[in-house]
Amino acid sequence: MDDGGDVRSLRTESDGVAAHLDGITKVFGKLTALDQVSFTANRGRIQALVGENGAGKTTLMRVLYGALKPEQGAISLHGNEVQLDSAADGISHHIGMVSQHYAIIPELTCLQNLMLGAEPEAWIKQAECISRADELATKMGFSFDWTAKAETLSPSGAQKLEILKLLWRDAEIMILDEPTAMLSPADSDALFGSLRQLADQGAAIIVVTHRLPEVLDYCDHVTVLRGGKLMADKPVSETNAEELAELIIGHGVDAPVLDEFEPGEILLKVASLTVKGERGDEAVQGADLTLRSGEVVGLAGVDGSGQRELFQAILGLLNPVSGSILLCGADAERVSPSKRIEQGLRLIAEDRHAEGVVDDWSLEANASLGLQRLEPLRSGPWIDRKERADFAQQSTDLFAAKHQGIDKPMSSLSGGNQQRFVAARALLLRPKVILAFQPTRGLDIDGAAQVFSQLRKTCRDENAAALVVSFDLDELIEHTDRIVAMSGGRIQSPPPGEEKSRKIIGELMVEAG
Amino acid sequence: MHLPWKHIWLTLAAFALIWLALVAVGAYPPEAFREMIIRSVGKPAAWRETLFQMTPLLATGLAVFVALRAGLFNIGAEGQLMVGSLASVAVALAIPSAFGMILAIVAGIVAGALWALPAGLIKAYRGGHEVISTIMLNSIGMALAGWLLAGPMRNKLQESTTTAAIDEAAYIPHVVDQMPFRMNLSLIIVTLITVGFAYWLKRSVKGYELSLVGKNPIAAKFSGAALKKVTVWSMTASGALAGLGGALMVLGDEHRVYMGFSGGYGFDGLGVAMLAGGSPIAVVPSAFLFAVISQGSDSLAQIQIPKGLNGVLLGLIIIVFAAYRAKKETHHD
Repeated sequence: MDDGGDVRSLRTESDGVAAHLDGITKVFGKLTALDQVSFTANRGRIQALVGENGAGKTTLMRVLYGALKPEQGAISLHGNEVQLDSAADGISHHIGMVSQHYAIIPELTCLQNLMLGAEPEAWIKQAECISRADELATKMGFSFDWTAKAETLSPSGAQKLEILKLLWRDAEIMILDEPTAMLSPADSDALFGSLRQLADQGAAIIVVTHRLPEVLDYCDHVTVLRGGKLMADKPVSETNAEELAELIIGHGVDAPVLDEFEPGEILLKVASLTVKGERGDEAVQGADLTLRSGEVVGLAGVDGSGQRELFQAILGLLNPVSGSILLCGADAERVSPSKRIEQGLRLIAEDRHAEGVVDDWSLEANASLGLQRLEPLRSGPWIDRKERADFAQQSTDLFAAKHQGIDKPMSSLSGGNQQRFVAARALLLRPKVILAFQPTRGLDIDGAAQVFSQLRKTCRDENAAALVVSFDLDELIEHTDRIVAMSGGRIQSPPPGEEKSRKIIGELMVEAG
Repeated sequence: MHLPWKHIWLTLAAFALIWLALVAVGAYPPEAFREMIIRSVGKPAAWRETLFQMTPLLATGLAVFVALRAGLFNIGAEGQLMVGSLASVAVALAIPSAFGMILAIVAGIVAGALWALPAGLIKAYRGGHEVISTIMLNSIGMALAGWLLAGPMRNKLQESTTTAAIDEAAYIPHVVDQMPFRMNLSLIIVTLITVGFAYWLKRSVKGYELSLVGKNPIAAKFSGAALKKVTVWSMTASGALAGLGGALMVLGDEHRVYMGFSGGYGFDGLGVAMLAGGSPIAVVPSAFLFAVISQGSDSLAQIQIPKGLNGVLLGLIIIVFAAYRAKKETHHD
């Protein structure tokens, strides 16, 4: 790698600037997503753009290809300052982006996907198109059955097709958002091989990633963003994993001391759990995790590290490929989701609208959502309406969610108040194991602190345990008893005594450890 | 208080359209309206016919409503009703007694349920869309009926393709029998089922889960509701109700089954359920309105107005009510 590194940097010096963003500021409402960020992409170079969720990576890239207009700053492409008003402008300037979730339409053939939106003529001459497609594929060392349906493609095949789509559109500046998220290590190697080849042919490649090994092994240059600010912009050869991890995560305040408690019996034990995700990839890989009564455990990690699939497996909505889940001392295999809820499993759902409420139902009807089979909300086969109304009242009162009556629809509450309501609901009726996915989403600092302090109180007082997913490490350090990190489907615990060490957990999150 | 101008305009517009439709077919609208009302609810004999029609409309309307509540479109009520009526007539012919009548009702329910079951299973376990599968089951059901009525079940003594008439002992008893008005128990049976279902839906845990699956299937899954079971059961129950409608038509009113027996009641059930919107109790007045318009425009044929007009009227009413409701829903935001 060392020799290669030198050669790369020499070449980098001699090649021209393909795109330059100068002093970009982008504001969404009160949030400054990008603050005076400058960024350069050179031809012949693979450039990494790294940072936590919400650091501004995607926003910056959307500014580059014209999908977002910045409040301040200038964009120049191939040496000329340009005005980009839409993504179509970006494409006409030979900028292309492959997003994390591929835009491949499974029902169309590979060829149709390749050409979609960039068909050469109104009447498609299939044979000519196939021969041009083959030419592009051969150049990259790929091979495709162009008339096969795209649904037959593996994740790496789909990724290759996405790259060919960029070539079909004559993209010279190529942005890839988390390109290896769905790929196996071998496929990732091959992908970066292809990207290197494209760079050698004069393309400017930008890879948005949170995986430091990839940056160190395959990229020439790295730009680090944190909280919308530029933290570093330097050749990869001049940095290392520890430095990058610290630049990405930052120095936080030390953990405050939480109330003391003695962890009790094991309430949840996940052992060597492997779960397949939606795309057939192993989203959770041999994960181990133990929750004891009384404790609130943080699950740190960037979005998409397998948290979602882990939760669904614990809830009984996804069947594990292997491994076991012990819930309240009993093997949960083949135990239905509703039985698990009866045993005390509670959820604060990630996507409130889709998973946690019915918007046009009353608060009262929403109060028993997920708890509808539990006494006293149920009495025999019937709903106990008085108990349910009381419960709805408690659910609004616990975090003082502002409302105009429990008979009013859920949609009459603001997002923050809805979140207060669903968080309260999960804590109020005999919880044993609480799974909380970003439980403070949409809440201000005070609201978030209230939810966490009630969560700890519930766990301590009622001998329950909680597992909290958050993409904000500081939040977990401040409010949870200990933290484990999830990355690429694996869960790693920091060594004893370092359970809340920002540096060590940060490294585990980005696989720098 | 400000006037709901949008609603007033909608109503006026609907009236204007109906007026135009009547003019277009060559009728004098005020006369046509008067005739329709007189011939559907204006005299005892008219009431009798209207309530006869209301029974299967209420059964199929409730059938479609149940499935709709679970997020499923049961387009197959027509076939389920037909199959139910055939099973029912077969039992009633074999056992000509009051006991036979009870068995014949059960047979209609079971046959209708079985005719909907495959659509539920295909939806739940294979993801096949219920609209397609119920339409296909309709065709199979109709073909089956055609064969049975032309062959094994045909009354050989008659020219037309019909079964023999069932014995009077197996008739559903009349609650009022003062000709020209008479009414049998079947409408009361279906109305009670509707009221019972409405209560169950609002007050029972299973009813809550059924509505939840229809409203937000993902939230239902996260809440421990058994999505697949609910899908299968609600589709089956829907078929059972349509089958019941067929049985009640046979035992209460028609006393035989013939080609074309189902007469579009299964499809009208879609309209009845749509018009009822979100409320199960509203299926009752909705079915009544359908029966009035259907009966009224049947009679208009006698003053040379084409019978197809009822489709136009019902279509307009459904659209206007849908527009009312769309207004209501946007008010929430």
